[in-house]
Amino acid sequence: MEKIIVCVKGVPEPGSVKVDPETHTLKRESSELILNPPDRCALELAAQIKERHGCRVVIISMGPPNAEKVLKEAYSYGADEMILLSDRAFAGSDTLATSYVLARAIEKLEPFELVLMGEKSIDGETAQVPAETAAILGLPSVRGVFEIKFDGKNWQVLRERGSFVEEVSFSGRAVIAVNSRLSYCRPPSLKKILEAREKEIIVWNAKDIDANEKFLGLSGSPTQVEDVFQKELKQKGEIIEGEPLSLARKLLEILKEKEILK
Amino acid sequence: MKEIALEEVGKGGIWVFGMLEEGKISHSVLEALSAGKLVADALQKELALVCFSAKDPEVSCFSNLPADKVYFVQNESLSEFCDDVVARVLIYLVKKAEPTALFFSADDEGCAVAPRVAGVLRLGLCAHVNKLEVKDGKILLYRPTFGENIVAVLSCKTRPVMATLAEGAFAIKEVETSPEILKLKMPEEFNWESSFKVKKIEKRKKEASPLLNAKVVVAGGRGMKSKEEFEKLFVLAKELGGEVGATRPVCYEGWVSEDRMIGVSGVSVRPRLYIGFGISGALQHTVGMENSEFIVAVNTDKEAPLVKMADLALIGDAGEVLENLLRLITQEKEKSK
Repeated sequence: MEKIIVCVKGVPEPGSVKVDPETHTLKRESSELILNPPDRCALELAAQIKERHGCRVVIISMGPPNAEKVLKEAYSYGADEMILLSDRAFAGSDTLATSYVLARAIEKLEPFELVLMGEKSIDGETAQVPAETAAILGLPSVRGVFEIKFDGKNWQVLRERGSFVEEVSFSGRAVIAVNSRLSYCRPPSLKKILEAREKEIIVWNAKDIDANEKFLGLSGSPTQVEDVFQKELKQKGEIIEGEPLSLARKLLEILKEKEILK
Repeated sequence: MKEIALEEVGKGGIWVFGMLEEGKISHSVLEALSAGKLVADALQKELALVCFSAKDPEVSCFSNLPADKVYFVQNESLSEFCDDVVARVLIYLVKKAEPTALFFSADDEGCAVAPRVAGVLRLGLCAHVNKLEVKDGKILLYRPTFGENIVAVLSCKTRPVMATLAEGAFAIKEVETSPEILKLKMPEEFNWESSFKVKKIEKRKKEASPLLNAKVVVAGGRGMKSKEEFEKLFVLAKELGGEVGATRPVCYEGWVSEDRMIGVSGVSVRPRLYIGFGISGALQHTVGMENSEFIVAVNTDKEAPLVKMADLALIGDAGEVLENLLRLITQEKEKSK
């Protein structure tokens, strides 16, 4: 087996995001980025496949230059190479424009056997990028995956879909969206952490991946943000301040009033 | 069941996609259809459920649906859910009939198929939309966005307008009438082959989340400070005959499993009483509990959104108030012995 590609994303630390009042897009530069938690499971499954079948694991991530820390963390979980897709022209991309960039980079990484991604990012939470990227590449896609096996010829993955667990098998290539059900991800080895520090991050811009400008960034995104507004809230009920004990008494009173406690 | 050629399918309609599984239309697809009706009525377009199945359905499963038409595609290769085949059929139909809008429920099937259609046809796709509006003939799609109480209003430059619709966000409409059911004749040469072989290996009677029908919900957020503190909510829930809910950050912290998550990516609740401990009330969470009958917020921050929308707000440390409340309840119980 040659190569597995894992797409990861740097997401803002929850609670640290600002919205650009002009473009209405999230200002990612303003906040510290962390590795998108579901991507951690994709990296673990990639490391398992690498152990059993001896392939290389290549990480790609589209993001601003400060995503480097995220890439190095991802690398420490067992990868061999990391590529940052970074260009001002990518800014403001919606899921289709993002998927286009990832697809271009993945094509440049031929030959490969499998593409893994976290099922969704915890910032945008669209869960669209894996299947959109697959569609652009002309590959099939499976989501909700929590286990991957390879018998030398066929892949067998387990996925959750609604109330079913299903076994999906295939012989060709596919984009796999991994869910967060994996109960344990191994910590990185000290060796890998040290290696990550020294390892160079390859940076590719729009030209490097031969991307058509028409499909990039804000102007290349078919969804548009018409407006962003703060939901106005007026004080609705009573506000009570006081010691924890007196507040607890008030709460108890309500519970009795509502006949939830006798 | 009347069978028609693809050329006879009405053009420019409002479409909602749904798989027919075990002969039934899922609750979430019904919600999406009800949402589609708002748009179809406003634009005076035909509303259609585009429905796939391995077998011909019982016509009764479409009774009283709020749709004008059901376009039905039947083929044996649809007996298992293969993302690639399902998307291929839908892409084919979209190219033929050029609908104005194409909506999906944001369930596992919708989230698998919608982005494949969008990727192949290069269409804009909005995710987890929880409100739809038509303004000057334009479809506007609302969704809560990352961060505090920020709502983004989106539109699509491409046709059909595409979106996945958040589960639990749209009320189900029933109508007196029933839609006309039309089976579509797919071309002989259509490629029904999938790259996948799918085998169901387990059906978990994944019980609907216990939160859905809970009369009392006690929910906790990051203001609970630690997992240990958070877990005391289970003690309270037991005392009150209720269930524990959580915000997204604490689920990701690992304090509690994700099936307790209330909000955009979790469940929507409507209990008689909701108590939020240490929850500031990001929109991600509040869209899932705002229909509660009586809302209590316990929080140190007087300006927190949940404090503002609460019927009763107690300003104090959520963990300490909870401790005290549990002690008071124990005392009461001993007294009554």
